[in-house]
Amino acid sequence: MRRLLRGDMLPLLSNLVSRRLVISSLPSLPPAPLPSRREAHLWYVVPNELEDASLLQDYRELLSPCEKENILSIKGEALKKCAILSRVLVRTTLSRYTDCKVNPRLFKFRKNRFGKPEVERQIGALWVSSSLQFNISHTSSMIACGITVDVPIGIDIEEKQRKPVNNILSLAHRYFSPYEVQYLASFMDPETQQSEFLRLWTLKEAYVKALGRGFSGAPFRDFTIRFEKSTDSVVPEQPKSEEFRIMIDTAFDSENLTANWQFALVELGGSHLAAICMEKDENMSGTEQDFLKLKVWKTLPYVEDKCMSETDAVKNISGLS
Amino acid sequence: MAAVSAAFVRFASLKPGSWSNQTNGVTSGVKFVTIGTSKLSLLSLRYSRFRVHCAAKPETVNKVIDIVKKQLALSDDTSLTPESKFSSLGADSLDTVEIVMCLEEEFDISVDEDNSQNITTVQDAADLIEKLVLQKAEAA
Repeated sequence: MRRLLRGDMLPLLSNLVSRRLVISSLPSLPPAPLPSRREAHLWYVVPNELEDASLLQDYRELLSPCEKENILSIKGEALKKCAILSRVLVRTTLSRYTDCKVNPRLFKFRKNRFGKPEVERQIGALWVSSSLQFNISHTSSMIACGITVDVPIGIDIEEKQRKPVNNILSLAHRYFSPYEVQYLASFMDPETQQSEFLRLWTLKEAYVKALGRGFSGAPFRDFTIRFEKSTDSVVPEQPKSEEFRIMIDTAFDSENLTANWQFALVELGGSHLAAICMEKDENMSGTEQDFLKLKVWKTLPYVEDKCMSETDAVKNISGLS
Repeated sequence: MAAVSAAFVRFASLKPGSWSNQTNGVTSGVKFVTIGTSKLSLLSLRYSRFRVHCAAKPETVNKVIDIVKKQLALSDDTSLTPESKFSSLGADSLDTVEIVMCLEEEFDISVDEDNSQNITTVQDAADLIEKLVLQKAEAA
């Protein structure tokens, strides 16, 4: 019998050994129980906390060939690191919700016809039993991934202190709805105006990302986010000044811009604003619909996971039950 | 190639002299070349020698680079090329809309959401700007 394999077709033994070492150098991820219908889970990572170059290399090995190529096209170590972490966060987070039966490197992604990334449920012979929905957002100092089951979700995070380069009212005039421009113009103190701008910005971004129709599918000026003072407070005679509900108004004749979405706005880690938008559950009655259940974890995948819900790291601004 | 889907494209040289150096024999008096073509041959046109002369002027590209550097607070010695991708520079969505707004003010044009979604590189932005500037000049 002729030799079917030439010697040079076999991978080098040293490569096999080093690859296996890389795969097994990462411990297994703890699985996470699935969110319920009205729940969103948020996992976030702080890039500055990753200082171990060999861990970054292990992370890189989890990426698909296409993702690795994208990383190569990014200039600058800090940006490369964030890009790697972003993909690793999505892959490891999704893996947790399959009871860790699906290895992070196996997930495949596609884009819906408007460009919104989605995860394939069929991966070779494997089938991901839950319809996991996810959405990522990043700043240079934090990357977050929101997860729901079945329900479309959009998230957006921003550094609390972020100051737009351009004049806030110019930006609002150009991109926001007239109501929102008036709302922002009503603030005399520049810092408050900046803070309100960021709140509106993150909420609008979260909505557009949840809708999944792209920036042009849901132009910012075609819908209004407003804050309605809550009349029902725990202590009726002393409503907290922060107590308000996040409402959305869309043009009455708009087919694409639906209004059955609920919002939450939280402060994360004392440094970031996070807006979460998910579709309302019509089966819920009345005011139950308006509040979102959120669980938050801070993670450095394979190193440490910390549940941050019920701690000072997650401060509800509006919308959480 | 998302940015241009028109069945024909007008290439304008605002410097008549720039055509005269070409080997295609176009004389220096020609200011406009109108080409009717299918999308496929448009693509091949883009990548033939015509592309060099019909892409945005260097001044436009440089202005885009200046605005992007300012928005993203990049140091002066950061090298940005026409092929630089906004996403690879760390621009997020707020950066992108700020950049678009600055470009609109700088060139006195209006970029709608459909167009701005298709801009991925500095070159894309410069090409779109020149197309919009031209459309505006013709409409006037």
